[in-house]
Amino acid sequence: MAWFILIIAGGFEAFSVAMLNQIQISRHKWIPITLFSLAFGTSLVLLSISMQSISMGTAYAIWTGIGVVGGTLIGMFLYGESKNVKRIFYISIVLASAIGLKLVS
Amino acid sequence: MNKNWLMVIVAAAFEIGWVIGLAHAYDFWTWFGTVIGIIISNYLLIKASGVLPAGTVYSVFVGIGTAGTVIIEILFFNEPFKISKILLIATLLYGVIGLKMVTDEEEKQGGNT
Repeated sequence: MAWFILIIAGGFEAFSVAMLNQIQISRHKWIPITLFSLAFGTSLVLLSISMQSISMGTAYAIWTGIGVVGGTLIGMFLYGESKNVKRIFYISIVLASAIGLKLVS
Repeated sequence: MNKNWLMVIVAAAFEIGWVIGLAHAYDFWTWFGTVIGIIISNYLLIKASGVLPAGTVYSVFVGIGTAGTVIIEILFFNEPFKISKILLIATLLYGVIGLKMVTDEEEKQGGNT
C-alpha cells in the first residue's frame, strides 16, 4: 500500500511540473497556479505518508524520479519542449546523481 | 549566467531552506519563514519556466536542492562526510552545466522549446 501511495505521490508531482508549463500558456493563470499548489501539496503529504513504512532515502529517490521523468516527458509530448538527445542525457545525469545522493545519505 | 538560470538556483536555495524548516521549525517565526520560503521558491520556479523548458528547470531545481541539502547536513547537522557524496555532487554539477549549455545552444538556433 505504501508503494502504491508513493507512486501516486510521484504522479501528483509530475502533474505539478506539467502545470509549470500550463501556467505560461493559460489565459486564466490562477487556475493552473491553484492546481500546481494543490497537486504539489498533495504530493508532499502522500510522500510523507509513504515514508512511514518505506525508508526516507528510497522513498524520496523514487518520488523525485517519477516527478522529473514524468514532468519532462509530459513537457516533451504535450508542451513541445525540446527532445534533443543531449538534453535528455544531461537531465538523466542530474536525476541519477540526485537519486544517488538520497540513497547514500 | 543569465537571469533565468540564476532564478532557478535561488529557487533551489530557498527550497533547501524550507526543507530544513519543515524538519526543524519549532515556533511561529520559524514556521512563518518556512512558509515564505515555499512561496518564494515556487514563485521563482514559475517565473523561470516562462523562458526555460519546465522539465529542465525542475531537474536543475531538484538536483541543486538535493546537493545543497546534503552539503548543509554534513556541515551543520552532523551527517557523515563520504567520498561518494562529493563524487555525486560533481556529476550533478556536470549535468547542470551541460543542460545550461544545451539550452543556450537551442536558444541561439531559435530553439524548438
